[in-house]
Amino acid sequence: MKTDLKKRIELRESTMNDVVEILISALNLEYSPGDLDPDTPLFGSGLGLDSVDAVVLIVELEAKLNISISEEEGIQALRTINSLVDLIISKKYDNA
Amino acid sequence: MPEEKVYEGYLAIRNSVALEEETDLHCFLIKGKDTFKLLDQICPCNVFLQNGQMRHTLLLDENAVPFADVYVCRKWEDAYLLGYWSSSVNMVDWIKQHQGDLSDYSIIDLNESHIFLTLNGPYAWELCATAIGPEILGMPYLSIMSQDFGMVFRAGITGEYGYHLMFPEEQKKEWTEILLEAGKPFDLVVNDSSARAQCSLENFFFDLTREGQHLLTPPELQLQWRLARQKSKYPGSEAMQSIREKGWDRRITCFITNKPATVNDEIFCEKESLGKVLSIGYSPLRKEFIGKALIRKPYWHAGLSGFHVNNQELITISAPAIDNRSIHVNLNLDSYFTRNENQDETVR
Repeated sequence: MKTDLKKRIELRESTMNDVVEILISALNLEYSPGDLDPDTPLFGSGLGLDSVDAVVLIVELEAKLNISISEEEGIQALRTINSLVDLIISKKYDNA
Repeated sequence: MPEEKVYEGYLAIRNSVALEEETDLHCFLIKGKDTFKLLDQICPCNVFLQNGQMRHTLLLDENAVPFADVYVCRKWEDAYLLGYWSSSVNMVDWIKQHQGDLSDYSIIDLNESHIFLTLNGPYAWELCATAIGPEILGMPYLSIMSQDFGMVFRAGITGEYGYHLMFPEEQKKEWTEILLEAGKPFDLVVNDSSARAQCSLENFFFDLTREGQHLLTPPELQLQWRLARQKSKYPGSEAMQSIREKGWDRRITCFITNKPATVNDEIFCEKESLGKVLSIGYSPLRKEFIGKALIRKPYWHAGLSGFHVNNQELITISAPAIDNRSIHVNLNLDSYFTRNENQDETVR
């Protein structure tokens, strides 16, 4: 495997682990990390989060990952675990 | 590009509202004292629902492979089992095989007497409220409501507002005319299942007729959220337990590519085979092909490039692949008649 692809995969996995851990702990979800698939919808039929959960989750992500998420970014990113990972990678690494 | 008629339906689903007679949507009414005990026995999800609620789940075979994509809906002490499954599945027989010692229930196949007209689109709610009544506006996502004519199920698999309207067969003509007439100011388009399928693919909804044909299990399909983690006994539960203990090494991932590919085409990274294409279709909004691929660990992540299919680059992406217009439509503030024409859906 090429080094840059390997690094990209490692970054994806570590960011995913961070997001899932924060999601479970911040919202007291009764899931273990292996139960949460990356493209699981966060709202509606998926994990069934609501707008209060969204605020709690954004605050926790900002505090624990040292990033700032605008309202518009939040609307776009709070669709699945994977879309949150996309946002965090773009904020922490791609623009560095 | 899709055929013109499919494209027209697709655009209506994405930007205004589209009407479809859903002939592949099945509905059973289950009545009797044992109704929810029975559903608890056959469904892998938690069936504790309030009156008017519905929950999206799967029905699994003994190998934990989904054979039905269903919603469980509660109407007081009765239940609707609404969803998609192959006509070759004898659902009543399957339920009876798994009823155990429960017998105080009856199943009414509503497809014998009713039809479904479905409205999908960012302004489906407004047309629905115009044609049926303002009470529709109060329906949360995944809820049901009784009407004089039958039932309204708010769900959908397009990523936009979706209302499945169930009418008695004899009222089909009358209600089709009512909806078409009320839909004129909304530029209503009659769509077929192909337009719906393309929208469903873009939004990463499970499709039994596509990825559902590859004998994959919920973790491989990224559908563990349709199952209750705490639940230990249901058809397929032993297989699910075993999968969770052993782990899995492949799963479906959304991808984009510029050129068409076909189902089962192999995906490579350099000369190493990573998996195969399970479904693919052209996305008019993204102006590229979008699909689902079964990719093995550790290449199964979104956001990776350097892969190829048929010598064309393939990039994995997060689902959903588009920013649905419905996400930005506020029922209290917006209307089709005051919409911002420039606020089309965008590529994520």
